Amino acid sequence: MDFMKYFDFLVWFPENVSTFGAELDHLFEVIWWIDVAIFFLTYGLLAYFLIKYRQKPGVRARGYHGNNLLEFTWTLLPTILFGGLGVYCDGAWETTKNSNRIPKPDVEIEVLGKQFNWVFRYPGADGVLGKRNDKIRTTDNLFGIDPSDPHGKDDIIIENDLHLPINKNVLVRLSSVDVLHSFFLPNFRVKQDALPGSWMKVWFNGIKAGKYEIACAELCGASHYNMRGTITMHSLDEYNTWYDTQIKGKAEQMAQAPAPEAKPAEAEAQAGEHHGDAKH
Amino acid sequence: MEAIAVEHSTAHSHDAHDHGHGHHHAQSFIRKYIFSNDHKVIAKQFMVTTIFFLFVGGLAALLVRWKIAYPDQAVPILGSLLPNTWVSDGVIEPGFYSQLLTMHGAVMLFLVIIPMVNGMIGNFAIPLMIGTDDMALPTLNMFSFWLNIPAAMLLMGGFVIESGMAQAGWTAYPPLSAIQGLGQTMWIAGLFLVGFASIMGAINYVTTILNKRAKGMTLFRMPMTIWALFVTAVLITLGTPVLAAALAMLFFDNFFHSSFFIPYGMLASSALDGSRNWTGGGQPLLFQHLFWFYSHPAVYIMILPSMGVVSDVIATFSRKPIYGYKAMIFALMAIGFLGFIVWGHHMFQSGMSPLLGTTFVLSTIVIAVPSAIKVFNWLGTLWGGSIRYTSAMLCALAFVSMFIIGGLSGIFMASAAVDIFIHDTYFIVAHFHYVLFGASLFGVFASIYYWFPKMFGKMMSETWGRRHFFWSFVFFNLTFFPMHIIGLGGHMRRIADPTVYDFLKPFQPMNEFITWAAIALGFSQFFLVFNIFWSLKYGKPAPRNPWNANSLEWAAPEHPGHGNFDTDITVYRGPYEFSQEYREQDYWEQWVPPTEEEKKAEAAYFEAHKGELH
Ligand code: HEM
Ligand SMILES: [Cu+2]
Ligand SMILES: [Cu+2]
Repeated sequence: MDFMKYFDFLVWFPENVSTFGAELDHLFEVIWWIDVAIFFLTYGLLAYFLIKYRQKPGVRARGYHGNNLLEFTWTLLPTILFGGLGVYCDGAWETTKNSNRIPKPDVEIEVLGKQFNWVFRYPGADGVLGKRNDKIRTTDNLFGIDPSDPHGKDDIIIENDLHLPINKNVLVRLSSVDVLHSFFLPNFRVKQDALPGSWMKVWFNGIKAGKYEIACAELCGASHYNMRGTITMHSLDEYNTWYDTQIKGKAEQMAQAPAPEAKPAEAEAQAGEHHGDAKH
Repeated sequence: MEAIAVEHSTAHSHDAHDHGHGHHHAQSFIRKYIFSNDHKVIAKQFMVTTIFFLFVGGLAALLVRWKIAYPDQAVPILGSLLPNTWVSDGVIEPGFYSQLLTMHGAVMLFLVIIPMVNGMIGNFAIPLMIGTDDMALPTLNMFSFWLNIPAAMLLMGGFVIESGMAQAGWTAYPPLSAIQGLGQTMWIAGLFLVGFASIMGAINYVTTILNKRAKGMTLFRMPMTIWALFVTAVLITLGTPVLAAALAMLFFDNFFHSSFFIPYGMLASSALDGSRNWTGGGQPLLFQHLFWFYSHPAVYIMILPSMGVVSDVIATFSRKPIYGYKAMIFALMAIGFLGFIVWGHHMFQSGMSPLLGTTFVLSTIVIAVPSAIKVFNWLGTLWGGSIRYTSAMLCALAFVSMFIIGGLSGIFMASAAVDIFIHDTYFIVAHFHYVLFGASLFGVFASIYYWFPKMFGKMMSETWGRRHFFWSFVFFNLTFFPMHIIGLGGHMRRIADPTVYDFLKPFQPMNEFITWAAIALGFSQFFLVFNIFWSLKYGKPAPRNPWNANSLEWAAPEHPGHGNFDTDITVYRGPYEFSQEYREQDYWEQWVPPTEEEKKAEAAYFEAHKGELH
């Protein structure tokens, strides 16, 4: 019975390519079947009563006021069911979001939301992200990288095109330069709001190579719909090759022109919007 | 207190019939129909404005839907009428799309549902159902209506300025809402006033229900509608000031560039004029906490009165006492109380501590229990009934069935782990339309069909009522059920053009389907408007108690004037004495004194059934 698969709403989900995604999808499935059961129970009773007890000549309604035992039962049962469900789902929540339980990261990057692009920072040749400070952020230095920290000089900054290795624990530090955004990786079952002024830890571990989409899930302005990026998952070798190219590119760029002096924020006020509006 | 109330209503009783003649009070037209203190006139005023805004909000929704389904196509007809800053060649600009969706949400919630269930139902039902002549504070009541007018003008005021209307969504999260222009500023002020109006109304309801009940109307003889309105009014008085505080701070951030919600290092590159500057140091999450501390109770403010009406309608048309009357009241109170400790379930993915998330999962799960209790008791009421399928009953049954679906989708979102994927997707949109349109608005429809005879003295057309119910019900489900599916596909809310994303492309045909269903749903509402006008003109004159119901509003004259009752009202029993075995008649009005034989029959019956749970 092939059509039965449409009965399970999990078929509509985009393909899952992260480790904990399977666990989250499983929870969805558990609740789905509980819901299906409750649906048929309540709708079954409803339909039965509506047909059986429709007005009929000569038949009077029965004037019950209620029954305490029944009230007690249908208070207790949902409490146990829903309470159990809440406890059962907590494990997956802790795994995915509790920052104290994040597994030891293999790759650490930073992600910034900015109207209407995703900006990524990799540590570069030295493998260390330079120190940053939100208070010195400018449009030319979105991460607020401390100019006196040598580790920051070789950091690689990329827009909208994220590359990562599969089967590695990725730790993302997430924030925003302007309004709220939400870092949404549908295939990885990752969603976390990006809050200006706070850095949030997000982690995941991709299990399948390929190119996937990044979306923004929090209304952030007119071009919110167009705040799209991509995430490409490589095998480790492929990733290292890609990363080496980026390091070389950065080295050449640094050799050619020293980083420009930071300009005041307002000077390029409109610059950030071009990408987002490109479509219209 | 009660004695005074009764005397008061007797004093007015002789002019209860003077509607339209004005021989006694000699009120001017303006005092009588426009700046009226009469709760029934105010209820009608709310009815007119809320139905008007229902169409305004609906139109905004259809434009939004058009943009999502056909992002590159001109809007038919309307496209050529709108100014070029908002549409280009008839195609809605993304910025205008955000304005429309903000207006849709804000208008529907704050100018339609809340004033419908409180302003319209509350004003009409409270004095009539507790057996008094008017509200305790009639002038305040009048202001609570009229304040809505300037509030609505401010809320939508951006329509007449070039930079446009507010566009940060009905939730108006800063920093986005703080860095927008004048349209947003006015929106904030408008919402503040709506809240003010809402508080005025609520204070009045609480006072009236506590102080002006007819003789014999004990708290546990009040119909469910009154209980629901009472709990709602308490929620409004406790919750709305918190929203006011949040809005006041937001207003300062937006207009005077303070930094309650603005962090350090914010590059407000899209601020309308680059000259605006914020010092920073604030916390955007604070707004969300304050906002949801009000807005979660607010979702109950939007639905509890409907639940009350639906309970009464189901009891009346099943000819049965409401099942578990006290359980229903305690469930209402539980929802009211728990409603204040679940707000964090809107913020699971906001950056709030995940440990706090766990707490809010548990409280949210707990609040699902009283909701379930209500559903079971409605089913219990139907059980063994003798069901009459009037338009009011059909809409009440729609409430129950749609509320079940909304509750079931709520369980997914209540689990923080599952919410990660579905948060801010169309799944959420499906959920709240099932509870707000499918349940709450259908409850409002039920209330209109149920009380129209007492409101206007005419019966409503059942034929047109059924048509309205049927098409609304069908198109409602065709519009909103598929939203669950596209939501599970990952379709984000509030995006102007889903075709940008490859993973959403397979859902575009469904988006188009939804839009056409929504258009049909919109047009189905003309049945209601038509029915109202048709019935006003051609409806049969309504008898005093057309539904053979028990509660006090049916003791009032066919079309009660100022002062409501033409007899002295004393209450002898609860509102749900339907189909009692020891009585011939299958209902027993609250205001009819029992005869000696009836007293004996009742006593004999209870003697015979001693110890049974009855
Ligand atoms: C069984 C009862 C319910 C549960 C467990 C529940 C749970 C939830 C949760 C967890 C959310 C947040 C989802 C998210 O944003 O990711 C939510 C959103 C919402 N709920 Fe419910 N809910 C219930 C009943 C209701 C009722 C009765 C109403 C209104 C009458 C309602 C109206 C809303 C609205 C308007 C939103 C979305 C607000 C927004 O983000 O714009 N819910 N619900
Ligand atoms: Cu966005
Ligand atoms: Cu809520």
